Amino acid sequence: MPVSLRLAVCLLAASLAVPVFAQTGDPVGLAIPSTTSAINSPTPLSQRVVAYDMDARYDAKAHTLEASETLTYHNLTGQPLDTFPFHLYLNAFQPTSTWMREGKREGTRGQNFETWDSKSYGAEEIKRFEVVGQGDFTSQLQYIHPDDDNKDDRTVVQVHLPKPIPPDGYVQFKIKFHDQFPETLERTGWNRDFILGGQWFPKVGVWWHGAWNCHQFHASTEFFADFGVYDVKLTVPQYEVVGGAGIEISSTNNADGTKTVAYHGEDIHDFAWTASPHYLIHDDVFQGSTGPVKLRIMMQPAHWSQLGRQVRALKDCMDRFDRWYGPYPYKTLTLVDPDPGSPAFGMEYPTFITGGTFWWEPEGFHGGSVETIEHEFGHQYWYGMVATNEFEDAWMDEGINQYTEIKVMDSMFGATGSVLNLWGITASETDQARLYYLGVTDLDPMARNGWQYADNNSYSGITYGKTALILRTLEGVIGEDTMRQAMRAYFTRYRFTHPTKEDFLKTIEEVSGKNLRWYFDQAVYGTQVLDYEVLKIDSTPVDWYKENLKEKKGETEYIDNVWIHGKGEFVIPIDVEVRFDNGSKVREHWDGRDRWVRYTYQKKAKIESVEVDPDHKIQFDRNNFNNSRTAEANTAPARKLTNYWTCISQFFAQFLAWWLV
Amino acid sequence: MGENTNLISAGGGIAGRNKRYIVWFYLLNLVFAHFGAAVFSDNAHTILDYSLYSDKLLHGFNLAVFVELLTRPEFGPLHRSTAPATLFAVVFFLMNLLFMPGVLLGYASDHRLPRDEFYRVCGRNVWRFVRLLLFFTVIAGIVAGVLFGGLNALIAAADKTSNERLPFFVQLVGTIIIFLVLTVTRIWFDLAQTDAVLRDEPAVRKSVFAGFRKTRRNLGRLLGSYVVIALVALAVLLAGVLLWYAIVPPGSVVGAFIIGETTLLLLLATRFWQRATAVAFYVRELTEPTVEEVRPVSAFAAPVVP
Repeated sequence: MPVSLRLAVCLLAASLAVPVFAQTGDPVGLAIPSTTSAINSPTPLSQRVVAYDMDARYDAKAHTLEASETLTYHNLTGQPLDTFPFHLYLNAFQPTSTWMREGKREGTRGQNFETWDSKSYGAEEIKRFEVVGQGDFTSQLQYIHPDDDNKDDRTVVQVHLPKPIPPDGYVQFKIKFHDQFPETLERTGWNRDFILGGQWFPKVGVWWHGAWNCHQFHASTEFFADFGVYDVKLTVPQYEVVGGAGIEISSTNNADGTKTVAYHGEDIHDFAWTASPHYLIHDDVFQGSTGPVKLRIMMQPAHWSQLGRQVRALKDCMDRFDRWYGPYPYKTLTLVDPDPGSPAFGMEYPTFITGGTFWWEPEGFHGGSVETIEHEFGHQYWYGMVATNEFEDAWMDEGINQYTEIKVMDSMFGATGSVLNLWGITASETDQARLYYLGVTDLDPMARNGWQYADNNSYSGITYGKTALILRTLEGVIGEDTMRQAMRAYFTRYRFTHPTKEDFLKTIEEVSGKNLRWYFDQAVYGTQVLDYEVLKIDSTPVDWYKENLKEKKGETEYIDNVWIHGKGEFVIPIDVEVRFDNGSKVREHWDGRDRWVRYTYQKKAKIESVEVDPDHKIQFDRNNFNNSRTAEANTAPARKLTNYWTCISQFFAQFLAWWLV
Repeated sequence: MGENTNLISAGGGIAGRNKRYIVWFYLLNLVFAHFGAAVFSDNAHTILDYSLYSDKLLHGFNLAVFVELLTRPEFGPLHRSTAPATLFAVVFFLMNLLFMPGVLLGYASDHRLPRDEFYRVCGRNVWRFVRLLLFFTVIAGIVAGVLFGGLNALIAAADKTSNERLPFFVQLVGTIIIFLVLTVTRIWFDLAQTDAVLRDEPAVRKSVFAGFRKTRRNLGRLLGSYVVIALVALAVLLAGVLLWYAIVPPGSVVGAFIIGETTLLLLLATRFWQRATAVAFYVRELTEPTVEEVRPVSAFAAPVVP
């Protein structure tokens, strides 16, 4: 190409490029890294939208953090973007925030205090907000309240860019911010000299279904973010033992008595870290189906004796998830045992979970640390990889996870005592989910925004309890194996995406080959309550009118009547089993559409018992006690309980008299 | 230790010779508890008797199903079940207060106390025992309040460390100390009650002072005896629970009843054993000659300076 022509082309290109740059603010050479050093996969697993590069210095005495954040955002929305909302979650820990108001109203974990304690204060203050190529926007940041009218809530901030970011373009934000961590009320913060750094950095919202989705920090829900790459450098005092999401790249001691630990995470949508001088570290390996996973267990010294149990539980959970639903593709998983008494227990972040135990936790009690480990690891699938919108579809996060918790825990400890099996006292995961649900059966549907539930009990009971029971019951409708196939298909199809509730429901319909709308409309979108009862039973001799009739077993003929009553509004076909005193039994199938049904038999036998749902497929019947009825009373259960009650009363009376007289 | 053993065995001998008191009080305890459980029983029978689901409570004990039972609307509010149990526990306590003077006199007697004598001494001492109870409640309440307040402060201080076991052990040691202090208080008032009955002392404050003096002078012996018997009670309780778990099939109502009631009978017996030990000690104190310090009588009185 001649020089003059080359020059002309360059000038033309430059003349074209300058307006584009001016219009988009797209700095040259920006990209989201496509590295795969933190995952057991040769290629990226997600469509990476964001790349966070953060450098943070933690002051362990003041519980503060000074940090710089460089966020590169890839506009994959298909349309120009000129507005970007960011979560500033730590601002929730202020007396007038929406989170605090909701928490105080609902009495959720850690927030039912009567007086404000200044140690509970948390803040996330943006010191400088620059958009590369467009300038400093610090003074133009606006707090918004998309979910309520609380003008004092500062958990979402928005920036408007004069130059839109075009489709497929990039934008880079350079943010300097200051964090004040609260003493842990829940989720994040410090306790004594322990810190859990969760929700600690300005995090951009998700463009979802044609709009920004960036909800305020609520008492019940908190997660929804895009996948990407995280590079985080944490500078902490050298005496701290540090853990974080992703893989640890390096740890360097600094001259000022601090050390800088660097982490790198891929295909994750959040980053959490922890530090404490007391952690004891155990490293282990789980051989997953896509490669080894390095397990880092960070235990409190007082709990060290429980290390074996915790590692075993974690590996058993990982094994079941790997086999049943799909592989865990990350190279690391960090399990944190938080400071004793800290409400930071039981939290989930990508590749990083917190458990929680107490030093004398008995082996037969599975509902403590083991269940917590299972639950939080389950979130690596239902939240971590299948990244549903927890704000709007909390049941797809917590509820589906609760369902798989039942499956995994039952598999590990048996269906009878998967929560508790101690001294003859038992409780199962399904029982536990029933208890969650029974107190709040009809207040809210599952398909409701997390912060719009009637109260926290309803949120917990419906989101965790009802979802798990609905899915357990679905096993009875489509078969347990089919349900597992459907769950695997759902995971495989939607991992590293943001599926909707319909994506999940349609997957189940597709895999089962059944139209289940009738079920989902009631169970997911409705508040109908299910309560079948055996209304009454009756066996009358055919020859009842004869004087001096002597009934003889096996010879006297009876007209046997059974009445089944649908007390609730939820309609689901059920089986009914009628047992007779000659050992025979009859199975009936009722579509449940009418309010009641009567079955009549003429037999040389009286009815012995009747049971609705004899295979116990339905898990969310409001009253299981009325699902069956026997002709003869069996007083033994009530006498047994009365005996217990009497003994306890006697002991109490003796104790009172012992000390006072 | 030898003296302690003698005291404990003497108390055991007295309680053993007067088994009828233990039996009567046990029967009162059982009957009142039975009445107290009537509402609970009715509610449980209403829901469980005709349901197959109740099997989860018979053959095993499913805690979640039990909670489900308690929360059923037809079971009624839980306080309707606990209120009668509490009421009858209070009635049992009042029966103890009323009849304990007769028991103490019976323990001090070398013959079987006639029934009229038993009731007479009970009647004579009712008001004294009520007043002693008030004294005890005030003193034990203050002592317990101060000690528990101190313990809570210590636990709060221990809780500031990351050593999770420290608050537990502080609590454990603190509770043991409080138990010992309250046991001393109990001994003091056991002796005061014994004094009021055996000396037929109408002035309760004199019995309180007498109980205090005897406790202070013989603290080691008495506390040792009481603690040993309390440890026996603890062993009985643990053995009862273990036996219940080990040999009673989940569905055996009769087996559970026998083990449970035997344990409760023995527990009650240990308290009467302590009572009998206090009486044995008191009677010995009365019969043993006491050497009083003879003070020289001064011939000259000190001059009084106006």
